[in-house]
Amino acid sequence: MDKTKIKIDYSRCGNATGGIDPRTCSKCLFVCDPAVFVRHPAIGVEEESPNDPKYWQVTAVWLDLCIRCGKCVEVCPQKAITVSW
Amino acid sequence: MCKWCMKHGAGGKWYLNARNYSNELAESMNLRAYLEEQWRNFEQVYIRKIMGISSIGLGYKLRMPIIGRLIRWSVERMIHSESPNRNPVRADGHFGQVIPIEEAELIMTNLAAEPIIKNYCMCRMMQKGVKDSCCINFGLLSGVIEKLPRFIPENTKVRMTREEAVEALEEQNKKGRVSTVWFQPVPYINAICSCEVPQCGGLRLRMDYGLYTVYKAEYVARVDPDLCQGCKVCVARCQFGAIWFSPTLGRVIIDLKKCFGCGLCRDVCRYNAIRLVPRDEVPGVRGEY
Repeated sequence: MDKTKIKIDYSRCGNATGGIDPRTCSKCLFVCDPAVFVRHPAIGVEEESPNDPKYWQVTAVWLDLCIRCGKCVEVCPQKAITVSW
Repeated sequence: MCKWCMKHGAGGKWYLNARNYSNELAESMNLRAYLEEQWRNFEQVYIRKIMGISSIGLGYKLRMPIIGRLIRWSVERMIHSESPNRNPVRADGHFGQVIPIEEAELIMTNLAAEPIIKNYCMCRMMQKGVKDSCCINFGLLSGVIEKLPRFIPENTKVRMTREEAVEALEEQNKKGRVSTVWFQPVPYINAICSCEVPQCGGLRLRMDYGLYTVYKAEYVARVDPDLCQGCKVCVARCQFGAIWFSPTLGRVIIDLKKCFGCGLCRDVCRYNAIRLVPRDEVPGVRGEY
């Protein structure tokens, strides 16, 4: 089976550029039954406080567990997620 | 007994050895700096590149012929590392074991070091976006977490007495969550979590990828075929898919190879048909943690 690719467009998701805070949204995390996504402070901004809302983002980590149900694509208010394989 | 009991159990189970809870041990290992660094960067552990490889698409990477075996070997070595220069941002030496509720309560009443705090489960927070205050931390780690506002529950008391901690554990047990006790890092013990598949970070790696981040309990559950009435209540409680109802026999069957020995099925059985027996007494699963 082909590998699943989940792309998140950070120009739409994320407080720094997309105008939405992943910590208050988190809809994709909640709707995903195998819990593929992880919400975390962005890497490379360690000098900044991890509590700064600017630096939080969502990444799809457990890609091989994705069941390609498409719920995250549907639920995203910013239409930032694309799932392909 | 598992090999961690042999090393750190002082003749018993590792999580019942009072030395592993002591402040003196934490001080002698200079753990404050380690824990502060680990918890400040907690959510990044799966994203960060460790030796050039991050956990993104870990399942695909582990399936690669030779590289996969190398990754598995190095991750195992990292999780169980006991070397003095462990790296906190990749959580070296951080793993746990499933325990039944009565042992979790024993730890809370007798062994856990003060102060005891309750904070948000960070696994559930980072993988499900849910704020659920159920993790109980104690000893040196309490002071570290209290300085990180994102883990501190709002509008409730953070510090708890031992009785309150036992009550909180029982409440989580009724909800159907598995008690686990954690080395952080080996051999210092400072947390009892109430975990849930699949969003628990430790159980995710164990169940889906076979990495030994969580060990099975020292027990397995056995059904008494004469007492079981086939009400199936226990089937819904098992997080590990180890228990099912057999229409032919009219009772439940437990797959001991899959059983983690948490005792959730036993706690809910109305007919006292399930009991926990030591893993060592069942030859088929002896030594399988």
